[in-house]
Amino acid sequence: MKDLITIGLPSKGRLKDKAISFFDNNDLKILQSEKERNYFGTIENKPNIKIIFLHAKEIIQRLGDGTLDAGISGLDLLRESEMNLQKKIIINKKLDFGNANLVVAIPDDWIDVQTIADLEEVAFDIRSKRNTRLRVATKYPNLTNNFLISKGVTQYKLISSLGATETYPFIGSSEIITDITSTGKTLEDNNLRILKDGLILKSTACLFVAKKSLSIISRILF
Amino acid sequence: MKLKKSSKAIIQTFKSNGFVLSEPDVLLDSEYIIERSGEKFRSSMLTFENEDGKTMCLRPDLTVASCIKFLQKKTSSKIYYSGQAYRRSSNKESNFINDQLGIEILGSKNKIQDDFKIISTIISSTKKIKSKKIQIKVGDISLFKSLINALDMPERWKLRLIRHFWRPNYFEELLKRLEKNTDIDSVTFDTDKERFYEMKKMDQDKVVAGRSIAEILRRFDKKIKDPRSFDDGKKIVKIIKSFLKINCKLSQLDEKLLDFAKKNNLKKNIFKDFKSIQNLKKLKQDINFITNFGRDVEYYTGIVFEVFSGKKEIARGGRYDDLLKSLGAKKNIQAVGAAINLQNI
Repeated sequence: MKDLITIGLPSKGRLKDKAISFFDNNDLKILQSEKERNYFGTIENKPNIKIIFLHAKEIIQRLGDGTLDAGISGLDLLRESEMNLQKKIIINKKLDFGNANLVVAIPDDWIDVQTIADLEEVAFDIRSKRNTRLRVATKYPNLTNNFLISKGVTQYKLISSLGATETYPFIGSSEIITDITSTGKTLEDNNLRILKDGLILKSTACLFVAKKSLSIISRILF
Repeated sequence: MKLKKSSKAIIQTFKSNGFVLSEPDVLLDSEYIIERSGEKFRSSMLTFENEDGKTMCLRPDLTVASCIKFLQKKTSSKIYYSGQAYRRSSNKESNFINDQLGIEILGSKNKIQDDFKIISTIISSTKKIKSKKIQIKVGDISLFKSLINALDMPERWKLRLIRHFWRPNYFEELLKRLEKNTDIDSVTFDTDKERFYEMKKMDQDKVVAGRSIAEILRRFDKKIKDPRSFDDGKKIVKIIKSFLKINCKLSQLDEKLLDFAKKNNLKKNIFKDFKSIQNLKKLKQDINFITNFGRDVEYYTGIVFEVFSGKKEIARGGRYDDLLKSLGAKKNIQAVGAAINLQNI
């Protein structure tokens, strides 16, 4: 029987620090390599656990393809991923860090738009007057699509963004955006405002387990 | 083989009624289709990226593909098509490939005459191959529009109900909201009014994310003037619901509509424009008129119909006056068409 497990942890920033302290608090002390940029780690007195530091998105992918047995990443990234990946991953525990909301944000000066119902009207306006679609820039096309369609907004087009999505409405790349925000500060500083009923997903960091590794994880880890 | 024979017989009827073969392209530009049908449609298309990096799709529907061909000025206006359409579906039992056989009048100039031509051609072609009794169900999307426009409610509600008539589930949600009148928000209005006066002093041509200051202020102004709260929501929902229950023989339609108008204190003449439907009496067929009908295809704008042989739907179609414009035509090009459901033949 396989008795080695591989755990993926975020490789950068606050999420990394919090993930490491989560393990610490569970009496699992993570030992990192002395080389600063090495991606591998171990757990003290647990020779059969291997730690890999990866991009949070990558952790979801690798859980889905079976390379990782467990990992810490964001709920938003799981929900955005393809259905066949989601089916293979279980949320073991929602953690108390990495809280952030995926929201619909519009330029602050669109004072006539407060709710999704307004947005839907404006989208139709743009469609009928200019024969183009309202463009929505996002890093989360799947979640955005499902949300907008469920709220009756149909006249839009997604523009995929890799970063600094907040700039899109002001450089002519899109009209509005959806993005992840924890304090709302970045949106506010870039003259954007969250729609009143524009909450798409309340996200948090989670401990995920690959479905097929469920039994080995419960045997070795917790 | 039997199917092939049936198709042949149907095509023969199309031809003898003056329809000319159109062979629309198999590969279409995905973005063009999305631009028209919306992001939701993306998941039903079969797409690939070509060598120029452009996303192409297999034609998802022959009506749309024929319209595109027509706009490229490559076909006459009275056409028939026979070919395959390719579409993904969440329903596991449905096929990727659908054989479609249908007729269209693109650039329809005489509404009553052309509606009749399409339906009568479909009926005579199905009669050739189906011996069971044929029954027709018919509706008219424009009657719903007439009703809504005749009701006394805020403009934004009228537009909203008309826009979402073809999405029955969401429409139900809207009715619930209308009943309770749940999109009032007076608090924000007060704070926003300050910004409104500030913005009035700005350069009105300045553009914020694709919309000019003038455009934003115009809509804001209209919104605060449009009555936010009105007491008749419940009453209006009741009228709409009772309208959507109308289901009668075509011969009783006039009487039914008059009766409906009278009962709800509406003007007698609000449904003046349904000559196209009344004209169908000439077909001398068993025809049922249903108001809650044809609500699954976004682009229908007028008459909609389905033809049944026994319990099986063997053809459906309708009028779609806005589709060609949304595909890029410079002016409104009216159109009407129908397709045979080969699977049920």
